[in-house]
Amino acid sequence: MKTVIVILSSLLILPGVCSAQETDLAAEVRELRAKLERLEKKMADEESQKMKRAEVERAAITEQVKKDVMTDVTAKGQSYFGKLIEQTKVGAYGSMRYGTSSLDELHNSFTFRRFVLTVDSNITDRLKGNLELEFERFTELEVEKRLFASRGVGLQQAIEATDHSEISLEQAWMQYDIADWLKFRAGAVLVPLGRFNINHDDNRWDLPRRSLIDRGVPVLPTTAAWPELGAGFLGDFSVGNTGKINYQFYVVNGVTLDAELEQISQTRAGDTTKFAQEVELRPSRGTFADDVKSGKALATRWAYSPWLGDELGLSFYWGRYTPDFLPNRSVLSFAVDGKKTWGNFEIEGQYVHTRWSGVRDVALGFARKAITSESEAEIGDVETEVEFELANLATSKQGYWVDFRYRFWPEFLGKTILGKHFANPQLIATLRLEQVWFNQLIKEMTFSSTSLTQFDRENRLLNRMTLGLTYRPIPLVALQLAYEYTRTNQGKSLSSVTNFLTSKDREYFQHAVLMGLAFGF
Amino acid sequence: MLKEDEAPKAVFPDADSFERKVVRSNEEIKAKIQQRMGKTTTSLWEDSYVTFIAKKGETILGYAAIVEEIGKHRPITFIVGIGPDRKIKDAALMVYREAYGGEVRDRRFLQQYKGKTLKDPLLPYRDIQNISGATMSVEAIGRGSKKALALIETVYLEGTERK
Repeated sequence: MKTVIVILSSLLILPGVCSAQETDLAAEVRELRAKLERLEKKMADEESQKMKRAEVERAAITEQVKKDVMTDVTAKGQSYFGKLIEQTKVGAYGSMRYGTSSLDELHNSFTFRRFVLTVDSNITDRLKGNLELEFERFTELEVEKRLFASRGVGLQQAIEATDHSEISLEQAWMQYDIADWLKFRAGAVLVPLGRFNINHDDNRWDLPRRSLIDRGVPVLPTTAAWPELGAGFLGDFSVGNTGKINYQFYVVNGVTLDAELEQISQTRAGDTTKFAQEVELRPSRGTFADDVKSGKALATRWAYSPWLGDELGLSFYWGRYTPDFLPNRSVLSFAVDGKKTWGNFEIEGQYVHTRWSGVRDVALGFARKAITSESEAEIGDVETEVEFELANLATSKQGYWVDFRYRFWPEFLGKTILGKHFANPQLIATLRLEQVWFNQLIKEMTFSSTSLTQFDRENRLLNRMTLGLTYRPIPLVALQLAYEYTRTNQGKSLSSVTNFLTSKDREYFQHAVLMGLAFGF
Repeated sequence: MLKEDEAPKAVFPDADSFERKVVRSNEEIKAKIQQRMGKTTTSLWEDSYVTFIAKKGETILGYAAIVEEIGKHRPITFIVGIGPDRKIKDAALMVYREAYGGEVRDRRFLQQYKGKTLKDPLLPYRDIQNISGATMSVEAIGRGSKKALALIETVYLEGTERK
């Protein structure tokens, strides 16, 4: 009976219990679902945040990489320009002087001789470049050109320049150092004839005027500084414990007869106005453009230095000097130069001999081409004149300069303004002796209808003695004082044998006092 | 061009070992060097100096210092070997960068510095035979040699008896 009651009771209660359990379960499921949704949302938020962070990080990294790359490129750029600046050096040298002269037509004057910009670069350990650009007596050079149309087409051209202004490329070469004894150099190189041309910087010398054989006459085929376009080898090697041999050898375009055109416009009281053009053919440095002759020139110098301070050099130059329209003739120069040092006393000198072959043939060839040496015509009030001239040629010229120098510095000057600010100031007393001999120098030459009508030549002699005192506060700066006595054959003009003196017909000697400043940096 | 590891051997050929020491420069060292150089002024002060103690066995043959001085435009790097007697034993060019005046590398030029001390002028036309066209470089070698002498005295020989 009890059992029946329990069973019945269970049957009555169980559905109610089941119903309550279902309700709880559903609530639990809803709760779990809500939790899951929250979790999913949280995870999605976190993922989203993570992605955002990653994106920000990626952007930051990209930005950093950009910055790094830019920094690297900038650094490389700076290092390139830094290196370029470091390996290239700009310098200069130059000189000016004040001169007085006993010649009537020479004024006492300041002259700015030259300012030369120098640039050299060690491109690599073995590759070098060098440039020298000279501004000689240069103040101004201005060219104006205008094409216009007014009742026709016209061209107006004007040149504004100061007297004797010159811009000149003195050196421009590249050098490859294969070894100390073998270096290859190409470009505009200084011709190694004698010792002055290759050491011509003004601040290296103790007198304010360059020598006659190198500049004032010259005996060199053309005036120093004398560069030529070409290529060759140079180097040096030791001989024994103290000896050294130095050489240079080049093939170059070479000196050639080149034309200079001089135009003169002159009003003359009581006469017609004169318009004259003088075409002067004289030996000049070879062209840097296409050569006007087929032959090339050779130049070489060999110097032996038995020990420091002493040197003996031998050099020669040979090459055709006539342009192709004239007969093929050559010029041969040779030079002996040297230096000897005894303590503070030194002797330095140079002898040059130059022989121009076939000067008469060249004159005749010139006459045949030019037809007439001079022509004149008068149209209305204007007289025109055209003149052709062969200048500065002689069968041969030879000459020398020798410097005797003594360097000293009195102790008492060390306490004065001349000495107290400088480590090693110097005074240098110099005596320079010079002579030049001209053999068969063309004096007068006229031609007409392809033949020479007059061809006068003469032998001449030119002497100069210079006494100088130079003060060098530092090696690169020289203040110079010098007295010069220059003399040629009695009764002859100095201006006919020099290119820097203006003298009257019979002025055959000159006294001059020069004060010079030469500098380098 | 002479490399750093070859340089001390060039001025102390008899040495069988070299002890390398880098001396950091500071105002005190500069002042001491300048005091020893007297009126000679350097064209540049290095941040540090590479120096060597040259030995043969256990015996110190001398000291060497690598120095730099400006020639005309560029620094010339060279080594100066100095004996314990404070005299230059030898000098050798390591890097010459100037366009002209390379003759200062020659043995016949550098051997003039042997035996020179801080009391010598080390100047062209005074006690050094000049090289024409390279006077600035010749003066630079003189200044650098004095700087090396002063440095070695300051770093290694200070307090030792002057002979």
